[in-house]
Amino acid sequence: MSDLEITGAGDPGSDSDPLRSLADDNRRPAGLPAEEQAPAPPRQLVRRLAILVAPAVGLVLIFGLWELYVQATGVRPITLPPPSRILRHVVEEPGFYWEHSWITMQEAALGFWLGFAAALTVATFMAHSRFVERSTIPVIVLLQSTPVAVLAPVFLIWFGFNIWPKVLVAAVFCFIPFVMNAFTGLRAIDEGAYELMRSVSSSRWEIFWKLRLPHSMPYLFSSARICLGLALVGAVIGEMFAGSTGGLGNTARVGQTRLLVDQLWGSIFVLALIGVLANLFLAAVEARVLRWHSSQNVRR
Amino acid sequence: MRSVREAGAAVTLRGVSKWFIGRNDQTHALSSVDLDVAAGEFVSVIGPSGCGKSTLLRVVGGLVPYESGTVNVAGTTPAQARRTKQLSFTPQTPALLPWRTVRRNVRLLRELNSRRAAGESLSESEAVALLETVGLGDFLDSFPNELSGGMQQRVSLVRGFVLGAPVMLMDEPFSALDEITRNEMRYLLLDLWARTSKTVIFVTHSIPEAVILADRVLVMARRPGRVVWTESIELPRPREISIQDDPQYLEHVRRVRNALHEVSA
Repeated sequence: MSDLEITGAGDPGSDSDPLRSLADDNRRPAGLPAEEQAPAPPRQLVRRLAILVAPAVGLVLIFGLWELYVQATGVRPITLPPPSRILRHVVEEPGFYWEHSWITMQEAALGFWLGFAAALTVATFMAHSRFVERSTIPVIVLLQSTPVAVLAPVFLIWFGFNIWPKVLVAAVFCFIPFVMNAFTGLRAIDEGAYELMRSVSSSRWEIFWKLRLPHSMPYLFSSARICLGLALVGAVIGEMFAGSTGGLGNTARVGQTRLLVDQLWGSIFVLALIGVLANLFLAAVEARVLRWHSSQNVRR
Repeated sequence: MRSVREAGAAVTLRGVSKWFIGRNDQTHALSSVDLDVAAGEFVSVIGPSGCGKSTLLRVVGGLVPYESGTVNVAGTTPAQARRTKQLSFTPQTPALLPWRTVRRNVRLLRELNSRRAAGESLSESEAVALLETVGLGDFLDSFPNELSGGMQQRVSLVRGFVLGAPVMLMDEPFSALDEITRNEMRYLLLDLWARTSKTVIFVTHSIPEAVILADRVLVMARRPGRVVWTESIELPRPREISIQDDPQYLEHVRRVRNALHEVSA
């Protein structure tokens, strides 16, 4: 979008250039009606169209090649069904996929928020106390170094066959990026602004609300982008290893063990769709909340 | 505060000493500094790096502790002056909050510690009027990252004045600006100051800046940090850019420069 505007403004063929359009006018063969004149030079139209279409190119290419490959080689659907067949299957079973999506989304969302709340609380204490910071960091490193997915069976023993083992796996997944980013955001504040606020005897509380927390927002959003994906991963892993009768992780596992290939791939497609939609939603929220931040200045 | 004005001194330091204790050494940052700044006076503090001029400012502002001596600001201790919002601090960087618009940034100091809202803090419309006089009328609802460095520094100056505190402390606020912008900012500051008659202590590295702005220039030496020379600036006010051609101005600059040379030698 921005590329387009920049090139458009500097383009001598731009339709906003009055001299140029006057010259075009003069060159038009006599007797030709004005409507046949293109509103913009064709080169620019093509460019504008290309930029609009660009996001779809990669996707179309991947799925197109996949479809072609399957049709051309005749590979058996059990090995790799064509995307058209998977899509048809998903569209034919909306109730089934909605039911299981709802379960997975609940687990992921609860895990996301639980991980976020825990991380923000811990990071707040860390940002205010060197002692808490120094004593907490080894625990975080330990968590970071452990493949926490192996905790899923433990959570199953503790909480039983319900939503909580899956929520907890997702929460542990989200906790780590959230806590590191939140801590950095709360701690790495502008020294001048901090001194300025101290010069009128601001309380710690005021400095937290008016300086630390807003300063950490870009950090929280960038970790939220990572954590959206991780929350889904955590929920699915929980469903696969912490005993479940529902959710897209479960439908995928059942699809594999019972050779229901369409169901296996359908679950994958729906999970991908949920991830994409969640990311788009987050990007929209971010654009609103971080209006002041340089990351949002796409028009420059 | 009123009683201070009557007494004539807004800031008084008597025998103030301050040490920085490092792991292996200790630095005598301030060595029994005496200072009287009258209410409504503009004092510039200049000196080589590490002479303690910023420390002096922070001692007056109650932002760092000191070991001995007494400091009196607006008739009370620095800590109490800070609590009652009698002090306005302008840091070296604009230190604007990037998530606040210009309008909301200048309001910040008034909002903070609000139970102690200084009685003289400017109203919303007065703050906007001040922003308009510094040429930011069209940018009231802009975010800081939409402004140039000079514009950000103007917001920072206005923010200091909006608090309405009688004593203003400025720590090299123009040091990051290019020379042309910087010179403009000096006269802009003088204009704002003339409207409000605040007491200002202004730390700077620039000799012309110190002379253009101040009623008095204090030259500091380092190790130990102390005031070694006081230059009273007799230039008439209001001062305009033409004073920089005035022989008297050049003479002041020469004398401050010589004092600095002796200190650095």
